[in-house]
Amino acid sequence: MGALFRDPVLLATVLGTNIPFFSMAVILIFTRSNPRLSSRISVGSIVVSAVSAISLLVKLFSAPALQYQTLWFCSGKLNIAFGYYLDPLSLLMLTIVGIVACLVQIYSLGYMAGDPGYSRYYAFQSLFAWAMMNMVIAGSMLQLFIFWEMVGLASYFLIGFYYEKWSASQAGKKAFVMNRVGDVGFFLGLILLLIGFGNLGIPELNHAAVTHGLPKGLVTLSALLIFCGVIGKSAQFPLLTWLPDAMEGPTPVSALLHSATMVAAGVYMFSRIFPFFSASPEAMQVALAIGTVTMLLSSTMAMVTYDLKQVWAYSTVSQLGYMVMALSAGGYFAGVFHLTTHAGFKALLFLCSGIFIHEFHTNDMRIIGKKGGRRLKIPMVCMTIGALALSGVPPFSGFFSKEAILTVLAAQPSKIWYAAGLFGAVLTAYYSFRLIFHILFPKDGIEEQHHHAEHGPDAHEHEEEHHGFAFRAMAIPVMFLAGVSVVLGFTEHGLEHFLMRLVPRAGEVSAHARSAAAVHGAVNATAAAAAHAQEPSGSLLMVLGISAGLLGITLAWFEYGRKGASRKGFLSHFPAVWKLFDLRWFLDILYRKGLDTFVYAGLTSLFVKNDRRIIDGGIDGICVFTEGSGRVFSFLQSGMLQFNLVLMVLVAGAAVLYFVI
Amino acid sequence: MNSLSTYLIISALLFSLGLLGILQRRNLIGMLISVELLLNAANLNFMAYNRFLVSDPVTGQVITLFVMGLAAAEAAIGLSIILALYRKMHSINIEAAQKMKG
Repeated sequence: MGALFRDPVLLATVLGTNIPFFSMAVILIFTRSNPRLSSRISVGSIVVSAVSAISLLVKLFSAPALQYQTLWFCSGKLNIAFGYYLDPLSLLMLTIVGIVACLVQIYSLGYMAGDPGYSRYYAFQSLFAWAMMNMVIAGSMLQLFIFWEMVGLASYFLIGFYYEKWSASQAGKKAFVMNRVGDVGFFLGLILLLIGFGNLGIPELNHAAVTHGLPKGLVTLSALLIFCGVIGKSAQFPLLTWLPDAMEGPTPVSALLHSATMVAAGVYMFSRIFPFFSASPEAMQVALAIGTVTMLLSSTMAMVTYDLKQVWAYSTVSQLGYMVMALSAGGYFAGVFHLTTHAGFKALLFLCSGIFIHEFHTNDMRIIGKKGGRRLKIPMVCMTIGALALSGVPPFSGFFSKEAILTVLAAQPSKIWYAAGLFGAVLTAYYSFRLIFHILFPKDGIEEQHHHAEHGPDAHEHEEEHHGFAFRAMAIPVMFLAGVSVVLGFTEHGLEHFLMRLVPRAGEVSAHARSAAAVHGAVNATAAAAAHAQEPSGSLLMVLGISAGLLGITLAWFEYGRKGASRKGFLSHFPAVWKLFDLRWFLDILYRKGLDTFVYAGLTSLFVKNDRRIIDGGIDGICVFTEGSGRVFSFLQSGMLQFNLVLMVLVAGAAVLYFVI
Repeated sequence: MNSLSTYLIISALLFSLGLLGILQRRNLIGMLISVELLLNAANLNFMAYNRFLVSDPVTGQVITLFVMGLAAAEAAIGLSIILALYRKMHSINIEAAQKMKG
């Protein structure tokens, strides 16, 4: 306890990461019936968290990685430590989580105002913030896994927040189950590591991987299993359909959990034990393929949906695919940098959409456009900034990070990954601006809003009053995030220096990998190193990247923006393709079929048969036997009392005679 | 005539009367009274053996007192059962109770 107060860093860490838990407990136990107080407690605690995260980042900006740990339990030779690991990566992520969570909670003051579950909402938000922050600074993989599951739990609560709505509770369940599928793999991977290596500490693991202290097969197998966790949490290829469904939750939840922070947890975990992963080129190759497939599939899905939030959800999946691609191509910094910028601009996009949805009570971009979405100037401008960042247009933040990723991909021996990345960039720009143009230039112009026409000038005042605090609470975080999206890209070199300064080992690895004749090219080469290696074509890559984004925007302009555009999209000429994209490549249907045939018809029916025939049958058999034997014995009971008595006397008499004589 | 066998004979007669009553009467109250006779026959035996064979006279009397208490309790419970049966069957004939056969 004394150490806690003597060491300001430890104090800030413990306080900052755990105060949301106390606010959750206080809200759930004491202040549930008082929404205003609950929201103040929650916002207050998250502000403390954000401030302590930022101050930690500033204080430890040029310090070596700090590790606090204490023995949690030991059994035989096995020691499990519990503690915090503060290195540049976790500090950066802690700050992102703190800031975004803080902004989203402030935003929710407006968005959720008047909701019957207001207190509950803030309690779950606090739970999420606590779990996520503790996951980020976890010192061992086991601790990370525990909080990883807590994050999943908070996500389940928040997706199913409107639990009285059937689709929302279904979506919550779907997300939970699909995440568990991935987590089974993750957990098996951890057990394998524990058996084969005997230590789950993150620094130890990375160090052992770098110094080749682990057997090759073990690394590949456990890396692949652990990657299953990434697939589940970050909605990668086979398990990607839960994320779009998760949009059933309130929009701020989508902004915080299902775009900026929680789904990035998978990518974070990947980069957390990045040296470990890169010790297995085979696993990295699998991850690269999965990231690419995810990115392309979800981009195509985003091209056909009209639901505002669904578009951003699909785009989140595809951007996560980009991050996985970058990391598995060896671009540690590129992946983490894209995670950072994406957290900013995707939260921005969702929060802007939230304002539209709050105002017009619909998710359909066509209706929002028709009802005059572009009159809401603040969210419109901010959303355009976010979309530009997402499309990778300079000078917005997404441009820098996407450029870093494409550079890493271009350094791969096979150019197919780079081509896929470039193609994905075109699709990204296309679908984001399809949405923007739908709202900016609706098909038949804007319908006059009736109350504007009726009340004339004071309608505006009325509206101002109507929005008042709620609108300001929503607009301020949005504007802040828009500002971040503009400037964040320019911090690239600072961030790179910050992140890479403690990774000399990664450099060694890349040297190793290169000398080992590069099964997969520039493993671990940093974005900068790759850029240096590719110096002559660096500017060419940049031109290609920008033109991919611009191409997508132009295409969207021709189809949705310009006067007299058809506003249907070229895909409407191919109904089969449209249907394919709209039904998510039949993934959900396949899962349904798979569930029905293998799980329900196969496994479950076996269990049901066991239950009905063996267990139920056994118990029924005992009952039937008891009843039957009762019937047999009841023949002896004639009900004639005195006859029985006579028998009794005779028997007793016979017994007496027998004993006496 | 003041010997043990006199008392034993009286007791055996009493017991036989009770047994006859319990086997022959159809009236439940009559059967209950017959049970009392049986118990009293046993009591008489206890007292007689105690009087003629055991030096300490207390033991048999204590047992007799216990049996009397038991008989009182049994009468209370028996009568309440008979009452319940009467409410149900409107009769205290033992044959009416045959309907309760499972």
